Amino acid sequence: MSALIELQNLSKSYGTFRALSDVNLTIHEGITGLLGPNGAGKSTLIKVLLGLVRTNAGTGHVLGHPLGKNAAQVRTQIGYMPEDDCYIHGLSGIECIQVAAQLSRIPSSEALRRGHEILDFCGAGQERYRPVETYSTGMRQKLRFAMAIVHDPRLLILDEPTSGLDPQEREAMLNRIRILARDFRKSVILCTHILPDVQSVCDRVVILAAGTVRVSDTLELLCRTPNPSITVQVTGDSRLLQNQLNDQGVASFSVIPNQIQVQGDAGELNTVLWQAAAAANCSIRSLSPAKNSLEQIFLDAVREVHRAHS
Amino acid sequence: MPIHNLGYRPWNGTLESTSTRWTVVAEISIRRAWQSSWLRRMMLFSWLPVLGIGILLFFYEQAEESGQAGQGISFDGLKLALAASHPERPDQVREVLERMASKTPDERRHMFWSLIMLNLIRRSQGLLLIAVIGIIAPPLISQDFRSRAFLLYFSRPLTKVQYIIGKGATLLAYLLTITLLPCLLLFIVGVLFSPSLLVLKSTWDLPIRILGTSLLISIPAASLALMLSAVTTESRYASFAWFAMWIFGFLAYQSVVPFTQGNNTTVIQCLSLYHLFSDVAGWMLDRELAVVDIQTRMIVLGLITTLSLAVVFRRVSAPMNI
Repeated sequence: MSALIELQNLSKSYGTFRALSDVNLTIHEGITGLLGPNGAGKSTLIKVLLGLVRTNAGTGHVLGHPLGKNAAQVRTQIGYMPEDDCYIHGLSGIECIQVAAQLSRIPSSEALRRGHEILDFCGAGQERYRPVETYSTGMRQKLRFAMAIVHDPRLLILDEPTSGLDPQEREAMLNRIRILARDFRKSVILCTHILPDVQSVCDRVVILAAGTVRVSDTLELLCRTPNPSITVQVTGDSRLLQNQLNDQGVASFSVIPNQIQVQGDAGELNTVLWQAAAAANCSIRSLSPAKNSLEQIFLDAVREVHRAHS
Repeated sequence: MPIHNLGYRPWNGTLESTSTRWTVVAEISIRRAWQSSWLRRMMLFSWLPVLGIGILLFFYEQAEESGQAGQGISFDGLKLALAASHPERPDQVREVLERMASKTPDERRHMFWSLIMLNLIRRSQGLLLIAVIGIIAPPLISQDFRSRAFLLYFSRPLTKVQYIIGKGATLLAYLLTITLLPCLLLFIVGVLFSPSLLVLKSTWDLPIRILGTSLLISIPAASLALMLSAVTTESRYASFAWFAMWIFGFLAYQSVVPFTQGNNTTVIQCLSLYHLFSDVAGWMLDRELAVVDIQTRMIVLGLITTLSLAVVFRRVSAPMNI
């Protein structure tokens, strides 16, 4: 997998505030989740990648171009969906997309046709002809997403693409992201605070905190537990099952009600588990290899920074 | 891919040049401004004076042809034409007629055409320019700040300079439509009414002077208006500041200049944008009009343009630094 973005010792300060500090980061093709608490430096990092702000120190490459050079070329290949509302006042949805396409160097004769194609893909109907100011939150999200992909970019930077969407629309948005990455080989950087979204679509995760990269790895590796263990979901009293397992010398602990984590290999524990469940009068609903939750990884990374600062 | 497939389609066309992206900003801003019914009315109204002045040109050429022009104030058609163009200054009309009496027909034509174009720019078009900019300019940048459209613009291959050029081109397009084009039309009308195309030999410099005058007025005015739009997110504040600048400048000029007879009042005169632009237009169009200390006025215009554009650039860069 080739690296799309490589950053070395990148720093950026606004006056005395250090927004990015010695950032070393490699982002590969595929879908990367960019996480971090508010003020972690995510927006600054995006602006650096887009060539909108100059760094104080550091080098790197973005889509094969040296960092800070050939900004126009880089931006032609990047589709950016900002978190905040951004539209040209007084235009309809389709006109906004058309302008976005033209600004991205698509000829005006093509821009309108392309705009309609993209709005169809985004599931927008006749509301595309309405002024943007009258749009609902969901429609605005669709519009921003459409503006980001209208010029068929190689890399998509999506800032909170699912915030404010209902569950159905959220799933549809995540599906679109999956389709673009899987079928059209688009690389995506997904900035969000909704961790299930990251777990659902991302291959890799980068966690920024206080301007530094705390975690950067594949989701699979991050979620792997240090010792093999299994998560068991049960119907009935999980405490009875836990007691039965403890009596048989198998370590287990409760995660949430009706769910316990059992240490050991699934193959070896299989018979013991079923016997213990029968003895405890519980039904086993599911058995799966235990994983670290992304939420826990995120909180650990952020706490580590807070500890270092205090 | 089937035509009914509503899935994603890659785009493999040829991209346009990056350097022409400012035209997209200009096109969309022109289209947005044109949605104002007041602006449409005003643009239509701006061409009405041309009709009246076209008729004066017709009278003048008729007079020249019949060999009556240049016979002093006794020539009624010419007197009427000049009086119509300088209604409040009969002494100026008399002076112009005296100046014309001593000239050849070609010189007289040049002088007359210059005077009526100067008059058109100074009066009707000058006032319309203030009103038109007052409608178009205030929301041009301020509204982009408010709706955060700069994220849409600058995340694409568009530089801040191109953005400013695009916004400036929007204003210039409208301003040149009400200053340059009517004067050029008048020039063409004058040539068509004249006895032969040979009049071009004596008047060839007028289109260049008209272009120079229009640009000298439009560029500083557009820069100033863009600056006002860039310093606020509320376009009504920018509108207020724009009109206040013209009105208070004019009032300051009217109240100060009568008491400074005999002294050098250039700096005070530069306080009034109306008089400043009027003097520069006079200097460009009327070869015989002696404008005292034109250099100072040109420096003031240059300063207005440079400072305004510097402020606009700084303000447009600001959202990227937060």
